[in-house]
Amino acid sequence: MSNIDLNLSIGGPQGGGIDTSSNLISRAFASSGYNVLGVREFHSNIKGRHSYVHLRIREERPRSLKYPLDFLVALDPDTIFEHLDDVSTGTIVLYDTNDENAELAQARMIMRDTAKRINGVLQENKLDLNVKGALALMKKNGAKIMGIPFSKVLEGVELDGPATRYYNVLGASLTLSIIGLDQKFTRDSLKHIFGNKEKVIALNVKVVDAAYKYCRDNGLQGKTLPDMDAPPRMLLTGNDGAALGKIMGGLRFQTYYPITPASDESSILEEHEDIKWLSNENKKLASGGITVVQTEDELSAITMAEGAAITGARSATATSGPGFSLMAEAISFAGIDEIPVVITFYQRGGPSTGLPTRNGQGDLMFAMNTGHGEFPKMVISSGDVEECIYDSMKALNYAQRYQLPVIHLIDKNLANTSDFVPVIETKKIKVEQSLKTKDKSDFKRYTLDTKNGVSPMGVFGKDIFWMTGDEHDELGHVTEDPLIRDRMMEKRFTKLKVADDEIPDEDKAQVFGSDHAKVTFITWGSQKGVILDAIDGLKAKGIEANMLYLKMFEPFPSKFVDKILKKAGTVIDVESNMTGQAAKVIRMNTGFEVTNFILKYNGRHITEDELISATSDIVSKKKKIVVLENGA
Amino acid sequence: MAHNFRSDVAIDWCPGCGDFGIVTGLTQALTELNYGPNDVVAVSGIGCSGKTPHYLNMAGIHTLHGRSIPYATGVKLANPRLKVIVTSGDGDMLSIGAGHFVAEGRRNTGLTIILYDNEVYGLTKGQAAPTMALGEKTKGLARPNVFGKVNPITMALSSGYSFVARGFSFDTKHLKELIKKAMIHEGSSFIDVLQPCPTYNNINTMEWYRGKVYKMDDEKSWDPVVLPDTSAESVSEKFNNAYKRGLEWDDKIPIGVFYDNRAIPSFVKRIAEYLPDYLNNPPAEQIVAGTDGYTNVDPFKTFADRVI
Ligand SMILES: Cc1ncc(C[n+]2csc(CCOP(=O)(O)OP(=O)(O)O)c2C)c(N)n1
Ligand code: SF4
Repeated sequence: MSNIDLNLSIGGPQGGGIDTSSNLISRAFASSGYNVLGVREFHSNIKGRHSYVHLRIREERPRSLKYPLDFLVALDPDTIFEHLDDVSTGTIVLYDTNDENAELAQARMIMRDTAKRINGVLQENKLDLNVKGALALMKKNGAKIMGIPFSKVLEGVELDGPATRYYNVLGASLTLSIIGLDQKFTRDSLKHIFGNKEKVIALNVKVVDAAYKYCRDNGLQGKTLPDMDAPPRMLLTGNDGAALGKIMGGLRFQTYYPITPASDESSILEEHEDIKWLSNENKKLASGGITVVQTEDELSAITMAEGAAITGARSATATSGPGFSLMAEAISFAGIDEIPVVITFYQRGGPSTGLPTRNGQGDLMFAMNTGHGEFPKMVISSGDVEECIYDSMKALNYAQRYQLPVIHLIDKNLANTSDFVPVIETKKIKVEQSLKTKDKSDFKRYTLDTKNGVSPMGVFGKDIFWMTGDEHDELGHVTEDPLIRDRMMEKRFTKLKVADDEIPDEDKAQVFGSDHAKVTFITWGSQKGVILDAIDGLKAKGIEANMLYLKMFEPFPSKFVDKILKKAGTVIDVESNMTGQAAKVIRMNTGFEVTNFILKYNGRHITEDELISATSDIVSKKKKIVVLENGA
Repeated sequence: MAHNFRSDVAIDWCPGCGDFGIVTGLTQALTELNYGPNDVVAVSGIGCSGKTPHYLNMAGIHTLHGRSIPYATGVKLANPRLKVIVTSGDGDMLSIGAGHFVAEGRRNTGLTIILYDNEVYGLTKGQAAPTMALGEKTKGLARPNVFGKVNPITMALSSGYSFVARGFSFDTKHLKELIKKAMIHEGSSFIDVLQPCPTYNNINTMEWYRGKVYKMDDEKSWDPVVLPDTSAESVSEKFNNAYKRGLEWDDKIPIGVFYDNRAIPSFVKRIAEYLPDYLNNPPAEQIVAGTDGYTNVDPFKTFADRVI
């Protein structure tokens, strides 16, 4: 078995087919039995600005990404400039020799501030202010520069349209050939990507073949990697995972107003509204599908979902920060009216539209505190693609079981992470449904005669009851009676207490790693994977670390967290925000004060190397706060 | 026996309020249409008008300010068998809820929307509503209204509502007939109800309206109905006539049906086109798990395009 562990970035202009390049590489490696984890980084722009995918390829499933890169594939000059810092000794930089003379000053799609900074670095090193200069700097830093005349490779290949249209597939194929992946896997991969578009496949097969031939003829082809046995797997992003979880969890009604990175989930649901059943147990079960509605705004998205929920459909919506802000009032309504609804909240960099296509975890406190007045809601969070699947199912269940709004947090980094998921367990989580009444004439939707705070759910069309955003009596009519008000408030909050008692600790928080660790990381969301890898990396350096990973914030597992932190050594909070919000929540709930922080708020994903070095800074240099800055 | 659609909740509207007539017209229409209590759902926003569902003996939601339409749409789409009535004020629907009002025209879901048009914000004490004319000074206002007015009829027509009508809350018999027509209409129907608010609007009073309203239906030549086989030319003529009548607001104010287009498919029907089982197994009634309680979805088949 060869032990490969490759970090690879492929970059080019937004709209230039980077997704296809990334898919080609990922699926080719997957067919050969390897595992690939990938994160997509892009600007809020449709065509032109720099975008790239960072992939890590291993036999074992990678959980994080790492710099410096082993491979940088530049499909345009901007990529060379943007990733100057990501290469080091041994990095192979593959680029199109036609780009060599491109001037930095001419690269108009680079952000002005970024260009200025690169300009400074090149000048400092007395290098040309063009691609050649940048490559020279990379070489100086130990990179192996590999120029390939892209146009020459495709010379004589009969294609449809300009050759440049195929540069994304060409770049990926050259890379795969140089790494040493057998040509058949690269060819196979095209079929996965282009489905039944025979003509497109045939054209791209020519490109793959030309790339492999060029490498063979020029002695660039790597030694063939051994292929491995692997079970059938699914290549899923966080968005895909959440959508799949919702489908498996019985979702029947989804609303959305387009926003990055949330709307991908709804598009996926639209594509899969026609559900494929395991078996057709009965006719009614094997018919139907998911109604997905694009609404006029987020106010409509959440309220429409609530309307459907009251009528008996399992309902959800998905949004990001700006949209969630608009939903606050209706979430409060779901609180007083005990409506089972799920809001999948894809966080990105704020405030306001902030960094609309970049990562962020600045919305934890906002999600917890959303809505006016006091009412129970649940806030849960996912940290990897599998969790996105199962947590989406759980979120729908919690909403039904406790009849309240459930906010499911996923960060942009996770939404746009692609991972191979080998097993999806259909028997892991039961699909729970609210207790429904049978057409009673004196139905009290909000009966106070309940121990766990959950009154039998009624459904429009079967039961007569009323709902109002005002405080109400047991029938649902407006009341301002002081005693009824007290009882209703207490009834609603009983549910949160019951939820806290019923839900097992492992669904709220988990500890990974040794019990006797010197360092305990606290985190939530997509840092889960990178911390798991860093724990291994730190062990090699003699630092024993573990992780307290938070999954549920409302209700918060105070006792469990308190117990773990009381016996912990150096506690470090790792988050993709500036103010350490999870640490604040911990202090609020347990009194425990975290004083060490590793934070990142530039919108980019955290890599293993920067996390390890930041931890060393805290452990050995006694730094209190380390801000991570990597990323193009 | 016919169901009594009036609930036993005491009505707390001011004496003489036009809202009473709307509830009367509505309950009579429902009775005459022979609906059962579980056939209909009432959805309102916030305002004096918003209290309506509590006064009706059928399921109802008194929702957020401005959001009655999307709540109602959620109800209707989850179970298209239900008749869904929206009872909302002019401030509620044409100011804070204006975006939804327009969007609903585009959707043509199949709701029956009743606008309580009193030109003021009743429940917040008389501020100018979007239907009040520029320069008007009612007793609730400190100075004349500084906004221009929107016209609910032409707004509904240009948004795409397939049934547009106007009623007068003190002519409950006529209003009842309008509501009946609206409720059997397949697409979304909109009724602008002139609803005097004696407490805050001392200009558009019952007497003021009484001298001005006239019924278009009384004219033999008035035919607002578009059927699937109506020629394109005739459709545009009917639409233009409706629009022109909609602009009348002087000595004479028309009430009755402006436009009744039965050829535009409802949103419910449009969904059924791509989800074939939608109507006989709607989202609210679908079974979501196998008999063992676990999901019956095959993830690998559902996401076949992602499998490697
Ligand atoms: C988001 C929000 N903003 C403001 C209010 C306050 N509010 C209550 S009733 C109302 C006006 C209702 O006026 P209209 O829709 O014309 O109904 P009417 O009372 O005249 O029947 C307003 C603004 C609210 N409840 N919610
Ligand atoms: S304020 Fe006006 S609209 Fe409200 S109840 Fe009184 S009369 Fe009716």
